[in-house]
Amino acid sequence: MTGRVIVVTSGKGGVGKTTASANIGVALAASGSSVCLVDMDIGLRNLDILMGLENRVVYNLVDVVEERCKLKQALVKDKKLPQLNLLPAAQTRDKTAVNADQMKVLCEELKNTFDFVIVDSPAGIESGFQNAVAGASEAIIVTTPEMSAVRDADRIIGLLEARKDEISDYKLILNRIRPHMVKNNDMMSVDDVLEILSVKLLGVVPDDDDIIISTNKGEPIAGSNNTRSGLAFRNIARRLKGDEVPFMDLTDTNNNWVGKIMKIFNPQAYV
Amino acid sequence: MQFLNWLFPFNQNSPKITAKERMQSMLLHDRLELPAGKLENMQEELVNVVSRYFELDSTTTNFDLKHFERKAFLTANFMLMRSK
Repeated sequence: MTGRVIVVTSGKGGVGKTTASANIGVALAASGSSVCLVDMDIGLRNLDILMGLENRVVYNLVDVVEERCKLKQALVKDKKLPQLNLLPAAQTRDKTAVNADQMKVLCEELKNTFDFVIVDSPAGIESGFQNAVAGASEAIIVTTPEMSAVRDADRIIGLLEARKDEISDYKLILNRIRPHMVKNNDMMSVDDVLEILSVKLLGVVPDDDDIIISTNKGEPIAGSNNTRSGLAFRNIARRLKGDEVPFMDLTDTNNNWVGKIMKIFNPQAYV
Repeated sequence: MQFLNWLFPFNQNSPKITAKERMQSMLLHDRLELPAGKLENMQEELVNVVSRYFELDSTTTNFDLKHFERKAFLTANFMLMRSK
């Protein structure tokens, strides 16, 4: 088997990289693929928390690279989806603990076992990012419609373009869209950001209180059936697998009774 | 404000338009690693060069720097009156 290695990156911190990685992993695994989530944010481990697996981490990525354990021993199986695995970051080391060549070797090994290897990159454009990208052949850029996040995403796209030989494809996830603000012209729209960055769209995720609740529970929202953001991530997973899924209708239907009733009958129409 | 935006959806002063325009200008400089003022200096020099050969109508001279598919294009327009 040769799986796909996809790095999730953003430049700016706090735009939802780790949340996106966790949810894409859950959605891909729920649709039957075998998935390994790799937390490359060495020193600032978080992916285990979002997955609700923080109490099950024994070994980590650095232990594997430094041959203190076998790859299999470090993988943590998801509680609900047995085909979903997490390779946690080390919490007590830093970004220099793994280099680009070691990352390439690790990704090669993971590719043989899993359909999808999703690498959660740290923020920034320095060595941590460079190492996270090293083994990948595709990239997902996460941004929000704020100027600072878009500027950093543009920088990342420039760096990915320079790695054209390795990164054959990259697409954008626009996170935390607030439909009512877009409607009032108070915020850049999906089309504005796409025009500015000249990049292909993988998905749009609305700003959603349910994401915070799901993080607190350690259950990624892609696993829940009745939230817009959960549906958005499941659609993203389907697009990654080649399905043509229409993009979100940003009509803000959340806050009026017509929308609420429409959503009960046909949630798909609004995401 | 929200009512005005609703009445005039293409209100030029909306935060959306402001953000987009600032963003486009910022990224133009970022991508070309262009320091502030350099473009203006070049434009001034270009006008000087062309006006050595032609009389120009300076009111219609304009420069336009734009991105298309992440590549930068500079267009310059000079209205030429007669050769010198």
